[in-house]
This record gives sequence, structure tokens and C-alpha cells, in this order.
Amino acid sequence: MAVNKNNVKIHVEHLKKSFGNLEVLKDVSADICEGEVVVILGPSGSGKSTFLRCLNRLEDITGGTVIVDGHNMTDKKTDLNKVRENVGMVFQHFNLFNNLNVLGNMMLAPVELKKADKAAAKEEAFRLLERVGLAEKAEAYPAQLSGGQKQRVAIARALAMHPDILLFDEPTSALDPEMVGEVLQVMKQLAADGMTMVVVTHEIGFAREVASRVIFMEGGYIVEEGTPEEVIDHPRQQRTIDFLSKVL
Amino acid sequence: MVFKILAEYGTMLLVAMGQTLLLALWSLFFACLIGLFVGILSVLKNRICNAIATIFVDIIRGVPMIVLAFFVFFGVPMLMNDTLHWSELFGSKFMFTALQAGIICLSLNCGAYMAEIIRAGIESVDKGQMEAARSLGLPYWKAMSKVVLPQAIRTMIPSIINQFIITLKDTSILSVIGFPELVNTAKNVNANVMRALEVWFIVGVMYLIVITLLSRLAKRLERGLNRGRE
Repeated sequence: MAVNKNNVKIHVEHLKKSFGNLEVLKDVSADICEGEVVVILGPSGSGKSTFLRCLNRLEDITGGTVIVDGHNMTDKKTDLNKVRENVGMVFQHFNLFNNLNVLGNMMLAPVELKKADKAAAKEEAFRLLERVGLAEKAEAYPAQLSGGQKQRVAIARALAMHPDILLFDEPTSALDPEMVGEVLQVMKQLAADGMTMVVVTHEIGFAREVASRVIFMEGGYIVEEGTPEEVIDHPRQQRTIDFLSKVL
Repeated sequence: MVFKILAEYGTMLLVAMGQTLLLALWSLFFACLIGLFVGILSVLKNRICNAIATIFVDIIRGVPMIVLAFFVFFGVPMLMNDTLHWSELFGSKFMFTALQAGIICLSLNCGAYMAEIIRAGIESVDKGQMEAARSLGLPYWKAMSKVVLPQAIRTMIPSIINQFIITLKDTSILSVIGFPELVNTAKNVNANVMRALEVWFIVGVMYLIVITLLSRLAKRLERGLNRGRE
């Protein structure tokens, strides 16, 4: 539960990322320690999602270094698939596998990657579905679920690989307002259980309540970071103040 | 007159229809393999693979199949024998049977169109599906085969059925290299009875029956695949 400052899970140094001529991340450095819940805030286009996607190399990295669990993600010799097994990701649009039912979604990676045999994976899937409150939906296909249910399944699917780190890319932005709560509830529980989490979100309330650290990004840089009290309640940078005045 | 022709030549025409189906089914089988291979080449993030796929599809699409048929059946053996001196290496002359040449032509032709269908099908799957699979640690091919392709195939099925029917009909083009399929046999029958009206009517109905049955079967298969989803 406590943050372990001696164990840096993600080390980012002078990260740069361009799409063609568009420089999205200009120079980003950060350390994320075991058990930390880091919430990244910022206006759209600030590069926060891109930053998150660089952490598991869903985006190619233009410059700088990203080290996850001791693996250099920019090194060609690093087996990205092995690292990704330990870094779960939850997407804005859920991205549940439409061709598989809920159990299929949760069992695919553990079985294919030989983390568990079918019976064990199924048992684990049910245990996790219980945890996110969806055990009765095990046989349902994604199209039969509501947005909130999809996202909870997506979280359970990521957990099925027993990751050390979970990345959340605007997990509640595509949800109807009444479904936001159920997803945040699951995330709060994970945070309480000591999961290392990096969360890109617009939910200031969640950041204030759950984050051990808040990072404010704008224009491809980290503008300000600190505890929720520091960044959200007593921001020092003008750009942070401007942003918060619009969203609060 | 129709019944007289059927009584006398019916078996012969049925055998020819069998040859047509034999040619079509083998060609479809290889076309699926070619289509899948070239289709995947065209969606890989690799310029050389993309270029190979584009060139293949452009060449096949840009050459009429009758020309391809003549080229494969008459041209390629000439290349093998006269230019590469096949018989000196292997003792006998290189040649294709009409069936072999037919299968090669139809497979290449149908394969190129299948590749385009498969490329479009893969691209129609939201890229978040691949990203989610990769983020779990699944390698590209596992993600492709377990997540992306199964979804792509469902959107591709109507186009694939259409292409199968076109290929079945295109077997008639192989009559030009003497393969004894339905049209070629019907020409011979017509030469004997000199009743173009009835002979070609019968042949038309035969194609119609087979193709209608096949598309019904395909529709049923499509419904089966879609059951329980959405």
C-alpha cells in the first residue's frame, strides 16, 4: 500500500515523441515508484495520452529513454512482449475483443502466453470478475455490455495477466456520466490494494482522492507536479491555474 | 430438343461440370492461401512487403486472364525449355497440363482480388483491437490470428463469396487452353448437334443451378458465423 521510493518501476528521461513534423512530447522526465498512483492531468493535445502510450511502447519513441521494470524500452534487444505482460493497459474505448465473450477476453492472453492452463485461467477470470462485480456476465459478448461494464471487464482482463503496473488512458471519458462511478470505484480499490498506476484522466475528484502524485502536462512538457494538495489546490504555475479554473 | 440433347450428352456435360468444379475448388483453395499471404503483406508495417503486395495485385489486375492463361500454358514451357533448357537438367520436356495451368491462372487471379478483400477486411477492424492485444503481451501474429482476423473475416465473407462465384464463372475462360470444362465441352456438343439455342441454354441453367446452390450454402455459413453476436 505504501509507496516504495526505493523501487522505481518506470524511469523516463528526456522523452521526445513526434508524429511527422508534429512534436507532441518535447522533453518529459519522470520517475514512477512502486505503489504510486500517478494521475496525469492536462488539456487535450498536451501529450498526456502519448506519454502513457510511450510507456509500453504502443508508440515508437523518437528520443530519450524509457525504462520499465529495469527494461530499456528503446533498446531493440528488449522483448517488448515480455515487458508488456507486466504492464496492463486500459483504454478510453475499452477495446474488448469483439469476437470473444467476457471469459474469452480474459483468458486469451494468459492461456496463449502460457501463464495458466485453461482451467486455472477460467477460475482466475471468475475471481477477477467477482472483484469487479460482473461474474454473471462471464458468457456475454462485449456488444451486450454497457460502457461501464465493458470498462470493468477491460480492467479485469488487464489484471488477469497479474501486472505490476496498470496504465489507464482516459478510462472514463467515453462513459455515460452515471457509469463513471462504477469504474472509478474499481480503480480506487486497485489503488488501495497497492497497484502501481498511471492514470490519464479528467476526473479531478479522483485525482484529489486517490493520487499519490499529480502531474500537470501542457504543450509536450510537464508543467507542474506534486501531491494533489499542491497541484490541484495550490497550483503555482499560471498554466495549471488556468486549466484548473476551466475544469473545476 | 433440349431433352434429346440431355439424353445423349447429359452425362458428358455433367462430367464437364465436375471438371469445372474441380478446377474452381483447387483454385479457390490456393487463392485463399495467396490472398491471405498477400493481404497480410499489404497491412504489415514494412514498405518492402507492401510494395511486393501492391506490385502483385497491380500486375494480376492489369492483365486479362485470357492473356495470363496463354502466357502460363504456352509461354512458360517455352521459357523453361528453350531458354532454361529444362530437358537437359531433368531429362524430359517441361509442360503443364491444362488443369495445372488453369489452377495457376485462376489461383493467381482470384488470389489478387482476395488479397484486396482481406486487406480491406483487416483494415476495417478498429486498431484498438490490435493495441489491446499487444498491450497484454501477445505477439503480433497471435494478436492477428486470434483477435483481428476472426473479426475481419466476418466482414469479408460477403465479398469472398462474391469472388468465389466470379472465379467459378471464370473457369470458362480456361476453355481457350483446351481444359475440358463445361464451356469447352459444350462447344464440342454444339459442333455435333448444331443447336446453339438449346446447348447454351442448358449450359446456362447448369451454371445457374450450381452457383445458386453455392451462394445459398454460403449465406447459411455466414449466418452461422454471425450467430450470437451483436
